[in-house]
Amino acid sequence: MELIERYLQVVKFGLPKRQRDDIIAELSGDIYSQVEERETALGRKLNEAEVEEILKQRGHPLLVANRFSPQESLIGPVFFPIYRFVLKIFAFGYLLPATLVWIGLMTFSATYRFEQTQPSWFHAFASLFSYLWFTTCLVVVPLTIAFVVLERQQTKLHLFDRWNPRKLPVIRDANQIPRSSSAIEVAFNLIFFVWWAVYAHSPQVRIGSMIHISFQPQWLWLFWGYLALALGNTALSATNLLLPFWSVTRAKLRLFSDGVGAAIFCWLMQANILAGISITNVPAEKATALAQAINHWMTTLFPAAIVVGLVVIATGIYRIVRLKPAEGDSLP
Amino acid sequence: MVMPINSDAFENLRLELRRGCLVLAVLAALRSEQYGYTLRKILSEHGLEIDEGTLYPLLRRLETQGLLASEWREEEKRKKRFYLLSADGALVLEQLLAEWRNLDSSIHTILKEQSHGTD
Repeated sequence: MELIERYLQVVKFGLPKRQRDDIIAELSGDIYSQVEERETALGRKLNEAEVEEILKQRGHPLLVANRFSPQESLIGPVFFPIYRFVLKIFAFGYLLPATLVWIGLMTFSATYRFEQTQPSWFHAFASLFSYLWFTTCLVVVPLTIAFVVLERQQTKLHLFDRWNPRKLPVIRDANQIPRSSSAIEVAFNLIFFVWWAVYAHSPQVRIGSMIHISFQPQWLWLFWGYLALALGNTALSATNLLLPFWSVTRAKLRLFSDGVGAAIFCWLMQANILAGISITNVPAEKATALAQAINHWMTTLFPAAIVVGLVVIATGIYRIVRLKPAEGDSLP
Repeated sequence: MVMPINSDAFENLRLELRRGCLVLAVLAALRSEQYGYTLRKILSEHGLEIDEGTLYPLLRRLETQGLLASEWREEEKRKKRFYLLSADGALVLEQLLAEWRNLDSSIHTILKEQSHGTD
């Protein structure tokens, strides 16, 4: 009967310490009773293969032991959906954009790519991975501990005892446009339109009496582009204010204006648009160096601008996809 | 359209349905004293197969809840743990049986009404 003892030894390993001996005594009695009954029926001792068969019918010893263990989980079913939701926000709100920005920088910025791959490409990937891993640990470990503490303390804290149905989140139609946000957009676009038309119509801009900024001649393209966009966006936001639900047509218009805005912005970042700066009481060489630094800084951020632009466009496309065609077609 | 249910899903539903019934069957069988192995045999003879990995944790739970009493005794040269329904257990068994009959009756009524509705 060595096999039975070996089986019980493994079951014992997986049992809660406090009940270990008691459970093993009972299980042992059960197995030996079954063996004895078979032996009585057959009129002989069971051979090893027959004992093995009995044990196999009972299942793996660790699984048997598991049935006696209390359900154990660090974060239970009540808090787990919230925990998963927060992790998703971290993954999609930080890890993914950070990776995309890195890809953008590696693709479009030769300087950055050179710096990162100086020893080797492996070093570049290892550097990205260690950065993401460190950030993840920094966020996920305290977050997990906080949820574990909440899980353990939920009864003492009476978290679910005091609640009010009126304080539950309101049902929000994803296609609804809050009138407050449309009103803010109208106001912002109008202010921008006036400010832009008054102060940015010339490649020569004065800020007070001290600073004089010169832009490249292409500045006019930028000026007219943003002026038209501000006007178009004002009209679109005003329509949204009156008809506070997205329609396919207006969602397409918003995608178009966002796409054009993002394209102009990306072009601006790498156009070395700043021709020169002159500041009263600042030597010309220093002012020139400042202009070059600003141009360099903008060029460096060009990949990040592309990523942001892509996210804006993806959001616009998602808005169109999620609209029900029947609803969209019924509204202008 | 009715989707065909896969065997795993059916098995899960079957086990879920059986879980509550097994408690009732164990309490009912322990109106007379039994130890684990004989209890399993009695249940099996009545068509309720139950493996020891399910039975023994259930017995412990019911004992912790005060519905069963147990004692270790030597029988046929082996120490065995005998279980018996406690006074509280007998009361709970009566209540559960009443609940069981109500459920059975409700389901029968629903099925009857449904079959009349489709006739």
